[in-house]
Amino acid sequence: MNDRLLEVRGLKKAFLLKSGVFGKSTGLIPAVDGVDLDVSADETLGLVGESGCGKTTLAKLVLMLEKPDAGTIVFEGKDLRKARGKDLRKIRKGMQVIFQDPFGSLNPRKRVASIIAEPMIIHTMGSKKDIARRTVDLMEMVGLSEDMLSRYPHEFSGGQRQRICIARALSVNPRLLICDEPVSALDVSIQAQVINLLVDLQEKLRLSYIFISHDLAVVGYLSHRIAVMFRGRIVELSDAHTLFASPQHPYTRCLMESVPEPSPQRTIRKNHVTGNLLETNGDDLQKGCPYSPACPWADGQCIAETPELVERNTGHFVSCHRHR
Amino acid sequence: MDTEKQDAVTHAPVSQDTGNGDLLIIEDLHTHFFTHDGIVRALDGIDLVLKSGKTLGIVGESGCGKTVLALSILRLIPNPPGRIVKGSIRFQGRDLLTLTEREIRQIRGNSISMIFQEPMTSLNPVFTIGSQLAEVVTLHQKRRAGTKAQAREVAIDMLKKVGIPSPEKRVRDYPHQLSGGMCQRVMIAMALACQPMLMIADEPTTALDVTTQAQILRLMNTLKEETGTSIIMVTHDLGIVAQTCQDVAVMYTGHVVEHAGVEAIFSCPLHPYTKGLMQSIPRMGEKVRGTRLYAIPGNVPTARNMPKGCSFNTRCPEVMEICRQETPPPFRPEPLHLVRCWRYAP
Repeated sequence: MNDRLLEVRGLKKAFLLKSGVFGKSTGLIPAVDGVDLDVSADETLGLVGESGCGKTTLAKLVLMLEKPDAGTIVFEGKDLRKARGKDLRKIRKGMQVIFQDPFGSLNPRKRVASIIAEPMIIHTMGSKKDIARRTVDLMEMVGLSEDMLSRYPHEFSGGQRQRICIARALSVNPRLLICDEPVSALDVSIQAQVINLLVDLQEKLRLSYIFISHDLAVVGYLSHRIAVMFRGRIVELSDAHTLFASPQHPYTRCLMESVPEPSPQRTIRKNHVTGNLLETNGDDLQKGCPYSPACPWADGQCIAETPELVERNTGHFVSCHRHR
Repeated sequence: MDTEKQDAVTHAPVSQDTGNGDLLIIEDLHTHFFTHDGIVRALDGIDLVLKSGKTLGIVGESGCGKTVLALSILRLIPNPPGRIVKGSIRFQGRDLLTLTEREIRQIRGNSISMIFQEPMTSLNPVFTIGSQLAEVVTLHQKRRAGTKAQAREVAIDMLKKVGIPSPEKRVRDYPHQLSGGMCQRVMIAMALACQPMLMIADEPTTALDVTTQAQILRLMNTLKEETGTSIIMVTHDLGIVAQTCQDVAVMYTGHVVEHAGVEAIFSCPLHPYTKGLMQSIPRMGEKVRGTRLYAIPGNVPTARNMPKGCSFNTRCPEVMEICRQETPPPFRPEPLHLVRCWRYAP
């Protein structure tokens, strides 16, 4: 369990904020602002947060689809930021990605067989025959039948398309799969099928996942450890059980209290998010705790100093001045 | 399918004290779409009852007909290709389907209003939210807002009610200047501007973040208490149903397969589809790793491959021989619990 697969340190990325007809840049938005992350072998790391908190940007940075401004990404002992061209491609073979929208992420003009085979051709993984055989195996592995190989993506339902995306991602034998909201676009009954598939594949292939979602219940179900993101920072990181049993950061609590529970006996508790959480803009974020404008416990220190992510208990990291 | 026999049972709504306290009664509603590939029976015999002052949740997966039902109530089904072919929708005793276009326009936005899923796209980007709010009132209730100044007053008042800070300034804002949650508040303000009897909310929080969603749901609950407006909450999220509704209708392929009070639906679901749905949602903090989620096998059948008999029979774990032959009529194992499943045939 402790064999470390991915190590991210001090990762930063800011986007230029552009406005006006000529796109004059008017400021910097820190999308990912100093993130440290580890993923061990066979582990699922959940990443939760609301839209715009930097979850997807973080995933793109880890994959080097987006160039980081600062920080290091070490995957299987190799530094991704130092690797170029061929070397980078070789390292990246070990990490694959599944996106949220199974409709937009499959080329509508290609048959399923060539969609799944493409990564193997790019990474030259054997002869045509080998690749064809492996394509059939992959289809079976994700619960689709062989005779579907000659069909086009539009002939499949959302859940089946997501299975095709999974098969494509697994075709190059990755160690790490980054799942960016893979079940959010699916119906409840189909969602459960895909979640079960992901769990089974992890056991069978000894995969590690970074599972990104805004749905706390789904993340809680799948993850060993969970990182809660807010405004480009990780505000709390802990094993899944502890996080649900005793959330420490006020934002984590607010998130959990906001989830409508599927049980009529328990009513929505009054959460303490105030309207101004939505209204605060980038300028206020330069110093202080990013959550302080909305936090009911915020005081002078919170506005003046940005809290560090510190280990409160073993394996439980919290970034907050108030909760000790 | 034996229609005659079915109709006899069908026309018995959940609430038995018909006429007192029932705001909306839908009976045997069929909305079909006539497409190149044949007829799509989006609604295939819907029976529903909404009691006044209550929230009725309509749950189901995509394509089950939830939105078509919401649109049918307001007669907003695009024709062609869609048409309400059969049934009745009685609202305060009047059948909405027999009204003229002019009469139904008096009802839309006035006594029945609607909130859509995408708050950003439902608002007109080139008008201020104040003028859009005022338009609703001036169109429907001239005497309340005869002059521009009066209409503006009403708009500010409504914005205040839905919890938008400094409404005097906000009335001059355009939709793009507001966040998604704020836009949805504006939509709610618009929907409530004419003090409707019924508000239909079609996935009102699906496009929003959880924390914003919690605020909007709480707001809707509070406003319902204050104004006595009944709500039809169309959603795919069982959590939202549990938190906001008193009655629930579960839909599957154009049928209401189960209709009961919210407690009954959650504590003892009867239809195999409802049971499957309940088991397939991961619950927060309750998981035991290693246990599998229950997944309903297969996919929702499409109009082209709709099975004979009960439309759930291809995915049902409790399927019987009769299920493959005949469509089940609604049965009533409890006085206030309707279920369309042969398991509960008396």
